[in-house]
Amino acid sequence: MDIEKRGMVTIIKTDERLDAIVAPQFKDTVKKMAEESVLHLVVDLAKTRFIDSSGCGALVASIRALLKNGGEMKIARPSAQAKTLFELTRLHRVFEIFDDLDRAVNSFSA
Amino acid sequence: MDDELAVKIEVPVELKLLRPLNLFVRRLMEQAPALAASEKLLDDMELVFNEAFMNVHDHAYRSGAKGRLSVEIILGSDRLEFRFEDEGESFDPDLISAPDADDPGERGRGVWLMRQCMDEFIYRSDTDGRNLLRLIKNIPALGR
Repeated sequence: MDIEKRGMVTIIKTDERLDAIVAPQFKDTVKKMAEESVLHLVVDLAKTRFIDSSGCGALVASIRALLKNGGEMKIARPSAQAKTLFELTRLHRVFEIFDDLDRAVNSFSA
Repeated sequence: MDDELAVKIEVPVELKLLRPLNLFVRRLMEQAPALAASEKLLDDMELVFNEAFMNVHDHAYRSGAKGRLSVEIILGSDRLEFRFEDEGESFDPDLISAPDADDPGERGRGVWLMRQCMDEFIYRSDTDGRNLLRLIKNIPALGR
């Protein structure tokens, strides 16, 4: 997982698989960010070719952690597999999803 | 591949086997031209396999007891079937509700996903303590 900062926005770039193996580490990383007052987070799924229900759970936990502290989290560049998964689990109604990273980064309210 | 191809393996239910098993199953499915031709179908079936394995890991043997799992992958002439047989705790899949977008939880999507992606979801728990989950996808001309 790589972390990038663009101004006030933090971007987490996930690896090839966001699954039960890495979900706990992902959740912990975002939890720490929320505790350190990160308010604008984009999860860039461009490299992720496989996400499972544990990965979805980690994303839900993460958005909750951000919202609890008054922050926002967006999803960028999901693969076709991720989009299918979000639709099947109705998470496409929970997350704000962008096909373009720059648009996701620029979308946060001031 | 005209005849049915069935592969059965017995594995310890350990998280470190999740990815190797997923890869093995994906490569096996790619032997069927009708599956290999559809990336989406391969993705969906890999996800189903993943969820079924994790279901046994998280629920059948949740108390940390070391358990074993028998996995069978059957590539028939017109269907793909996964069979998971464990000796852990059983569950009632009918008690699992659809995901709620208004109150999304962190867990509980695995069974829903399996049901959405497969044509048949058959779960049986025997009095001798064995649980069998059969997941079937009808795929026309799979064997050709």
